[in-house]
Order: sequence, then structure tokens, then C-alpha cells
Amino acid sequence: MASRAIIGQYWPEESLVHAMDPRVKFILAFVLMAAVFCGTTPLSLGVAALFVVGFYAASRIPLLQAVRAIGPLLVLVVLTAALNVLFVQGGEVYFQFGIICISEEGLRSAGFIGCRLLLLLMGMSLLTLTTTTLDITAAFERLLAPLARLGVPAHELGMILGIALRFLPQFMTELGIIYRAQKSRGARFDSNPFKGGIQSLTALLIPLFTSAFRHAETLSAAMEARCYHGGEGTTRLSPLRLSWRDAVGISALLIMIAAVIAANYVPLSF
Amino acid sequence: MRLAFEDVSYSYEGGEAKKKRKGRAGRQADWGNAPDAVWALRQVSFTVEPGEFLGVAGHTGSGKSTLIQHMNGLVHPTCGRVLADGRDLAEKGVASDVRRSVGLVFQYPENQLFANTVYDDVAFGPRNMGLDAEEVDRRVREGLELVGLSFDELSERSPFDLSGGQQRRVAFAGVLAMEPAVLVLDEPVAGLDPLSREEFLGLIRELHSDGRTIVMVSHSMEDLAALCDRILVLSEGRVFRLGTPAEVFADAPALKSVGLGAPAPQAFASALREAGFTLDRPLYNEKTLAADIAAQMTGRGGNG
Repeated sequence: MASRAIIGQYWPEESLVHAMDPRVKFILAFVLMAAVFCGTTPLSLGVAALFVVGFYAASRIPLLQAVRAIGPLLVLVVLTAALNVLFVQGGEVYFQFGIICISEEGLRSAGFIGCRLLLLLMGMSLLTLTTTTLDITAAFERLLAPLARLGVPAHELGMILGIALRFLPQFMTELGIIYRAQKSRGARFDSNPFKGGIQSLTALLIPLFTSAFRHAETLSAAMEARCYHGGEGTTRLSPLRLSWRDAVGISALLIMIAAVIAANYVPLSF
Repeated sequence: MRLAFEDVSYSYEGGEAKKKRKGRAGRQADWGNAPDAVWALRQVSFTVEPGEFLGVAGHTGSGKSTLIQHMNGLVHPTCGRVLADGRDLAEKGVASDVRRSVGLVFQYPENQLFANTVYDDVAFGPRNMGLDAEEVDRRVREGLELVGLSFDELSERSPFDLSGGQQRRVAFAGVLAMEPAVLVLDEPVAGLDPLSREEFLGLIRELHSDGRTIVMVSHSMEDLAALCDRILVLSEGRVFRLGTPAEVFADAPALKSVGLGAPAPQAFASALREAGFTLDRPLYNEKTLAADIAAQMTGRGGNG
């Protein structure tokens, strides 16, 4: 029922980034992370930020949505920044109270690490925002395919990933219903978890697990009824093909890395 | 207990409704819900009178499930109030108090079974109420008896070993063991075979004649016509009709416009009226309709 934005939700749109090959996007997402890590000065991080914003513009996803999609993870960003403020010391001291000491170096590092983390998260969520779970699964499977010769069950892993992603929202919904049903029977989930809370917790988890098993049984029956027999010889309705868009994406990222590294060497004094 | 809805509106997106409407609500694919349905309930006002059997009907997505979740304070209105004997459910502590006297049975309640034994599952509610072991035991026995299950045979068995129909009875007993004055049922007979269906409806009828207030959501107009004192029809979150079955089912075209139909005998009766029969009763079931038709046919036969 709750339709809150979940991390990794797909944002349907027609754009260059959406139309890229999911395999390329999958790899580029990691390259993008590496590119962000290449930036070691505020200026180069700014350059990286410009590129990330540019990629979002190319994917036609409003920046506000992008931030909202990583919403819960922003806590991580804030926490990391706060830890940096407290533990990195040096330079001018602005505020001191007991063991709490806020210094120039601490603030600078907090800002830098916070921005870097934010960019990393935004880079990763660009992949999930522009790629359907089906495509991510397919990309994952194809990229693992070389490992299949070594005995890695690439197709099965891809299928597991796909099914897991597909059922996440389903289980969220069901958990909500079970939660309300047990609450109707007087279960108190908000009270002390050490006082009768374990009982309440099993009242949530066991129905959830039985429902997961039920879904698994139905799903496997439905797959077998459609003659699913594993990855051997399975074809795709729309096979993944590289196109000019992928060349554009790869070039854009190469330029980004070059620009970020170059920016590292630009002397900048505050 | 009297449950009064005063101008209740509810939006799943709470206070942010307006803001989000512009942003994502319009375009987000949502599992099962229409993306543009920002308001699940709009200005709903009615009262559940003590001792009555109120039916709730409405097309899928008309707000039935949301409505009944207001009745024991699982959700609180975005605007308006729900009063249980004059006490506002949104006030602190009132909802958990009211949950002892308003029992809510969700759709497919057997999916919420969790305990090792039938006994423990039925005892979950009473134990949460903080009753002593003796009283819990009495209520478990009574709950199982009410739903027609044998305490001696089943109480120590795992609920997951039972048949679907029995599981639903156990889940039902779990709510009845809390001895609620008001019983709210969401599609209680959905997915049951015809025989268990009849048994279950009989059980609900008995629970009502024992003096409990019953609110029942159903898609079956026949069941509602047969059981209810009053029927509330929801459409797109608004109260579309509220009245006795005869009043509500008198206007079949209006019901059709909100995706519902009249019960089959009632629809047949109005078709016959158009064909020239005089059928005077406001509400028909199979038996009364057959009797009246037979009376007219023999009457005609005698005249002609």
C-alpha cells in the first residue's frame, strides 16, 4: 500500500541513458564509482559532480527524484560526515567542548567525504533508475557467462537475483498486512522488544516466511508450466545489442576520468 | 459499541499528498493500486450502530479495506474523526484500547497464522490483552467452539497441518477469543468452496444473533442482501449509497454505474416487472421470488 520511493526503483523515461545496453551500463556504473574516487581535490570532485549531473540530465531524471531515490542512504552520508567532523583534527580549531573538537581540517574532510559518498550513491542509483530489473538481471547473467565455464551457475544466479528483486515490493506489502493483522490482535511492536517482543516478532516473520514458501511453490509451478528448463538454449525476445549510444556513454565516462584526473593537478589555493 | 465516522478523508501519502501529486504520484507504477488515487477515502460519514449487521460493498479500489482499517485505529484519518463511543481513535492510547472490543479479521486470515500449535495461535490475542492463564484457556476453548472446531482434537496440532477451511476457522477463533463486541470482516468467505462458504456465512449469522455487531465487506451482493441490516456502498472513496438492502438494490442501474450489480433474484424481479409482472416486495430472494411468480402464473392460468 505504501508507495514510498524504494532504493533502486526504476524510473520509466525515454532517454539516451535508458536506451543503453544494460551490460555496458552495469560496467560503467562501476567505472563511474572509480572515476569519483579518482577525484582527490575539491576541484576535481566538483568536475566529477558536473559530469554526474550531466548524466542525470541525459537520462531526463529530475535531480530531486535522484536524491529522493537514495533517501534512506542519505543518513549514511550525514553519519560519515559527522564522524569526520569529530575524528579528523588539524588546522584552526573552531569549537571545543570536552572531547568534542571541531577543527578546520575536520570540516573540510567531512564536506569532501560527504560529497564523494553522495556522488557514489547517485552514480549507482543512476543504474537502477534507468534500467529495469529484468535488464539488470540479463546484464548480470551475461557478464557472468564467461565464468560459467568454470562452473559458476551464471544463469541461475541471474534468475535468483531477478526473482529476489521482483518480490521485494510484494513482500513489503505482505509484511504490512501481517503487521496490521497482528496489531489488531493486540500485538505491540512499538513497546520494549525484550518484553514479549520476540513473540510479536515471530508473529510477523513466520507468516512472512510461509508466504515466501507459498510464492516460491506457485512460481516454480508456473515456470515449469511454461516449460522453463534452465538457461540451456534459452533465447531472448529482444537480444542485447551494442549501439552508438553505448559508444557515447563509454566516451563520456572516459572523458570524465580524464577530466577528473586532470583537475587533480590544477593547483587551487583557498 | 457505536463507531461513528465524521467526515473522514484519508490519503496514503498523508500531508505530502499535494506535493507528491505533482512529482511522482502520477507516473509511478504502483503494485496493484491506481497511481492517481491520492485520496482513498473522501468525506465519509456514517455510524455503525450497536448490534447491527452492516455490509460494505464497492468495486475493487473503492476504499473498503482502508475504511475498515479505520475502525480499530490501524490507520487514522487524514481529515475528520472516527469515534468509538465518543472517544476519538486518533488520541493516544484509545486505539489500542478499542482494539480489544473491535475485532478485525483481514482477508485470507489464515495467512497470518504463526504459532506452533492451534492453541498458542488462538491464545495470542487474549495473552496480548494481559489475561491470566485460566482466562486465556477459557477463551481459547470458547473461540474454537464458536467456529465449530474441536478443542480436544486440534488444540495441540500445528495450524499448518490443517486444511485451508480449518485454518481460516482457527484464524477466526483467534479474533473471537478476544471477545470483541464489534466484528469487522474483510471478505470472510473469499476463496472458500461452496460448502464451507455456506457454513461460514451461517457461523457469521450466528455470531450476529448472539448480539455482536458485524461489519462485513463482501463482493457477493447475494450474501449482503441475505445477511445485512444496512449496506454501505463505496465508490472512489465516497459513500455512494447507505440504506437497507431493499433501498440499496432498488436502483440497479446506479449500482451498475459504480461497477456493482444487484443480487440475481432482485435483478430478475426487476426484469420481470418490466415484462408486466406485478412483484410487490422490495427485496427478493430465490424463494420469495419463485413463490410470487408461481402465484401470478397460477392466477393468470385461472383467469385465462
